[in-house]
Amino acid sequence: MTGEKKMVLTRGLFKENPVFILMLGLCPTLGVSTQVINGLGMGAAVIFVLLFSNIFVSLLKNIIPNSVRIPSYIVIIAAFVTIVEMVMHAFLPSIYKALGIFLPLIVVNCIILGRAEAFANKNTIGDSILDALGMGVGFTLAVTLIALIREVFGSGTITLMPIGSFSGVIHIPLLYTYPVRIFSLAAGALLLMGYLKAFFSWYSSRKGGTQS
Amino acid sequence: MRQFTRTGITLALIAAVAATALAMINAVTAPKIAAYELQVIQQALTEVSGGYTVGSSTTQTQDDAVIEQYTLLDETENVAGYILQIIGSGYGGEMTIMASFTVDGEVIDARLLANAETPGLGKKAEVPSYMEKFIGTGASTPVPVKKDMLDKSDADSISGSTITFSGVAKSIALGSSYIKLLGGE
Repeated sequence: MTGEKKMVLTRGLFKENPVFILMLGLCPTLGVSTQVINGLGMGAAVIFVLLFSNIFVSLLKNIIPNSVRIPSYIVIIAAFVTIVEMVMHAFLPSIYKALGIFLPLIVVNCIILGRAEAFANKNTIGDSILDALGMGVGFTLAVTLIALIREVFGSGTITLMPIGSFSGVIHIPLLYTYPVRIFSLAAGALLLMGYLKAFFSWYSSRKGGTQS
Repeated sequence: MRQFTRTGITLALIAAVAATALAMINAVTAPKIAAYELQVIQQALTEVSGGYTVGSSTTQTQDDAVIEQYTLLDETENVAGYILQIIGSGYGGEMTIMASFTVDGEVIDARLLANAETPGLGKKAEVPSYMEKFIGTGASTPVPVKKDMLDKSDADSISGSTITFSGVAKSIALGSSYIKLLGGE
């Protein structure tokens, strides 16, 4: 893998993280990040949709007439979102219920349309796949990190998948008894987002980053 | 002109392919989703049954809001009450309420099923304990349909979701009077 290809894959993780640096898709990020499992579920859904929409947009970039490219992208994205929605409803009903309205709203998630418009329709399929994976994983990391902090402080628990005898919920001793409720509310999400954004800005400026 | 035709055909083709793919996936997932919905209803039925056996069900057509009626049987197979599935209207549109009543129209228990209420506010009505304020009402005491009919702590618990509360309460009150009309048959 050449350096440039590696850059396409890894820049979504940190340097151009869609949530912390590009500030895209904040609405679902703040909306579903109340429990870790919701963050992971949302991340998986976004990776899937982003991957396939990038592949198809890149494949069809020479066929789709320029004047109808946005409607075409929306049709492609909406189709994959509906697939995710139906599959989750059938096989993971509890996550489907928790994600609620944010699942269908992936259709208008700016990360996905943004990558289709800014990257996939100008680049090869291979690069588009790398870009989708990088951005998707970057989004998942960001939303899971926010969810982890919010859940640990806001409710004193970490909710994962129930496997066998493990109920899926880890209780954190002191915080479970005295949770900092603000973090599980909407105001706490915005507050935390502000802190994390400040941290990422400070970190990238300290590194003397080449860009913002 | 040719350019318009080409544009239109391309877009139509993309939409057609997408629709076909969705139809095929829907054929696989639809039965699973239906089975899950049924399981949710079964579980709610057991929860609200109050220890009675859930008997036969009949689909109701005489009242617009009541969609399904189940009989509740005691040990001697006598009708001890009814469970109703009622369509109410909440803040986010239609919601389904399942409530069980004795033959006198007294509320045994209730659950909020399918709904589109606001997470964190109206959605709280999904918690079983939300319905405690209705239990035992409907016969000698009226179903509380207004905030001032509740005591202080219950009234506080519905702050910010008054429309959801009034939707749930009206449905339960309607169910109660519906049962009274049946006259314990």
